[in-house]
Amino acid sequence: MDPHDPVPPPECPGFVDVSVRLTGFDEFTLRGTGLVRLYHDTTVEQVGRAAVGRFLDDLAAAGGDPGGLTDEVSRDIARAITHLWYLGVWPQLSRSVHAALGREKPNTAFTVSPEAYTEGLVWQTFHGHPPGAKAPGFGTWADPPPGAPAPARRTGEDAR
Amino acid sequence: MTAGPARPATPRYDVVVVGAGLAGSLVAKRLGDRGWRVLVLEAGTRTLDSWPGHLDALDTAHAALAKVPNAPYRRNPAAPFPDVLDLTGLPDGGYRADGYFLQNGPLPYGSDHLRATGGTALHWMGLAPRMHPDDFHVRRAYGYGRDWPLAYDDLEPHYRAAERELGVAGDADEQRDAIGLPFPPGYGYPMHKIPRSYLDSVIAARLDGVRLREAPDAPETTLRVVTTPHARNSTPNPGYDSGRGHRPRGAVGTPNYGERCVGHAFCVPICPVQAKYTPLKTQATWSDDVTLVAHAVVSRVLTAGNGRVLGVEYQRYDDPASPAHTTRTAEADLVVLAAHAVENAKLLLLSGLADASGQVGRNLMDHPVLLTWGLLDHPAGPFRGPGSTSGLECFRTGPARRDRAPFRVEIGNWGWSWPAGSPSGDVSRLLGITGDPSQPRGKGLFGARLRRELGHFVGRQFSFQFAFEQDAESRNRVTVDPRHRDRLGIPRPVLTYDLSDHVKRGIASAKAVSDQLFRLLGAEDHTAYAPGTSAPGWFRHGDGAFEFKGAGHAAGTHVMGASRADSVVDPWQRCWDHPNLYAVGCGSMPSVGTSNPSLTMAALTLRSCERMHRDLTELHRPAALRLPEGRP
Ligand SMILES: Cc1cc2nc3c(=O)[nH]c(=O)nc-3n(C[C@H](O)[C@H](O)[C@H](O)COP(=O)(O)OP(=O)(O)OC[C@H]3O[C@@H](n4cnc5c(N)ncnc54)[C@H](O)[C@@H]3O)c2cc1C
Ligand code: SF4
Repeated sequence: MDPHDPVPPPECPGFVDVSVRLTGFDEFTLRGTGLVRLYHDTTVEQVGRAAVGRFLDDLAAAGGDPGGLTDEVSRDIARAITHLWYLGVWPQLSRSVHAALGREKPNTAFTVSPEAYTEGLVWQTFHGHPPGAKAPGFGTWADPPPGAPAPARRTGEDAR
Repeated sequence: MTAGPARPATPRYDVVVVGAGLAGSLVAKRLGDRGWRVLVLEAGTRTLDSWPGHLDALDTAHAALAKVPNAPYRRNPAAPFPDVLDLTGLPDGGYRADGYFLQNGPLPYGSDHLRATGGTALHWMGLAPRMHPDDFHVRRAYGYGRDWPLAYDDLEPHYRAAERELGVAGDADEQRDAIGLPFPPGYGYPMHKIPRSYLDSVIAARLDGVRLREAPDAPETTLRVVTTPHARNSTPNPGYDSGRGHRPRGAVGTPNYGERCVGHAFCVPICPVQAKYTPLKTQATWSDDVTLVAHAVVSRVLTAGNGRVLGVEYQRYDDPASPAHTTRTAEADLVVLAAHAVENAKLLLLSGLADASGQVGRNLMDHPVLLTWGLLDHPAGPFRGPGSTSGLECFRTGPARRDRAPFRVEIGNWGWSWPAGSPSGDVSRLLGITGDPSQPRGKGLFGARLRRELGHFVGRQFSFQFAFEQDAESRNRVTVDPRHRDRLGIPRPVLTYDLSDHVKRGIASAKAVSDQLFRLLGAEDHTAYAPGTSAPGWFRHGDGAFEFKGAGHAAGTHVMGASRADSVVDPWQRCWDHPNLYAVGCGSMPSVGTSNPSLTMAALTLRSCERMHRDLTELHRPAALRLPEGRP
């Protein structure tokens, strides 16, 4: 590859950096969901550019640690983005934050898209798969999940 | 027919079947195969029997916030149906019901059904156990409830026929040995049993052979984890049917797909690959003599004045979203109501039929469910495979039934999804998001800690589902109220529901058993029952407080009996008062035992089909019948 070729910039790099901190999943996994752009746009659409900007500033001031956020609006945005990544669902904001942001949309939870449910990160936290999607195959449920001991076998029971 | 004033031409059939659900689809199959001209009138749409329609339902379910049984299926104002989310618990106990069902009982009726071609079994779990022989005579043997006018032995061959029709996977030897179910010698199910889950094996390793007393003075019961028969595709049994084997049915619209359960863990609300039996599979094999008309809501059964019925009146609509509809009639020699327990009762009441005994709509039953939930000391593998693959069957019968309702214990493979809305409830909680947005939120965990905590917590979840036999009580009932009508002007059902002390004692015993099970398992018990929004079924009993859920097993509303004085249908599910009107389905069941009811209902329905065929043959004699098509 010609080193002088311009490398295209990755999509929404700032949003991905923040999402890595919020979720504990690496960039590779987050991009692998195919949902970076949709989640970025959903966040901006839900809380507005100005609030996203303040949230990014607050996070930088907290040394990049979401646990260090003190402003309740920024913390609720952090909760919402994380919730979105883990479940594919934009959650209800706290009522006071909803009011503080002057949002004109209803403060209701919604699944961003059918794929967003499928790509929810929560399933990966325990080596599961999203029910109704990504089926692991016949009989796989009989095997120990990672980190679990093989059950003591009884007299040939279920020796498949 | 005598000459008279010309009537508008009404299409005439041998049989009109009301409802294309599990029962109706079997009737149409059996009678159509025998060459009878069958008209099936179905209230719902038929968007689900095409592959694109199926995929659309799947997308709808994925996008739904709560993956409740009805999540994939479009609301239909022309044929409304209840939803489990219609019920809300009140802060100090009690409940509010907002949906299709009007409810005025002390406790809520917590089950739904579905009105769409295919019916409620589109979103059933697909567990297909047989009833225990004792379940058929609970009054005689144990002094509560009602007896069947049939015994297990009368139904046994039809159980086999139903297992064939539904393609049941199971282990007959294990069922015989562990539960005492009689099978003919050498009988095997169409498919080998569904492998049990890792969780089942862990629980079996810790519980099998342990002897336990549900109360200090009670006799000992020996625990054993037993795999459950399923109406879902596993490995075909080559020895089935005298070595002819069994060919599993794949997906409707994509027949080579779904011949095996691939572990989607989504059987309720919809199996993505259709490895689970649904009535659409039976419909795909209907003969040309069966005509299905969907968008046709039957509103009344029409009578001739001599006790016989003429046919039905129905409301035909084009667009579910528009109130426009036309009233039509269909005539037939035989009318079979197969519209689901609640809807069958509603239709009989609206038609003023079959009620000489005063029992129409009464004896409404379900399997009330008590959930208990906890954490294993290591990963349990939740949210994998079918919702439940094994259970404890040792509390299903025995002398204790005299004092308390018997129960079946399902081992729940899907974590705390039912008791606590996991894993989304866990994510919210760890993030500090409370259910009430006006409350201050917790600080919340983020990043690697959140990920680790979730994995550690959700990964160890499991639950038990205790399903109780509910006794037939005439006060539990469906009525209709003309002041409350649906979009087409049809009165909505009113439900009056409560649990007897017999059931409540069963629930208390089961909780005591559960406490011991958790101790034996060395598991952390997180079970807690508190009144509130998500606990409409909360109640107090004795010193304890409990919460029950509905199982979706509506039964008893057109109860079957040996005498016309105290039952609605005879042992053939034929209305005592009307020789050519049948009401089929779980509504006919006088007792429900502790087994999920649909296999028994299917067996009973197939048995009734033989009687229907005889009735039709007698009516048509000496007309020659055609041989069933494609049959030797
Ligand atoms: C969540 C859930 C899980 C379940 N799991 C299990 C299980 O694991 N094992 C088990 O054995 N059972 C299970 N069941 C119960 C099972 O689904 C029912 O017993 C079974 O579907 C009843 O069949 P049916 O044919 O009587 O009624 P339905 O399947 O409800 O069919 C009735 C049909 O009639 C149509 N209809 C209704 N009214 C009219 C009208 N006025 N005019 C024309 N058509 C009409 C409906 O649209 C529908 O198609 C479950 C139920 C639920 C809700
Ligand atoms: S576990 Fe999955 S594939 Fe198997 S029946 Fe259930 S939904 Fe279908």
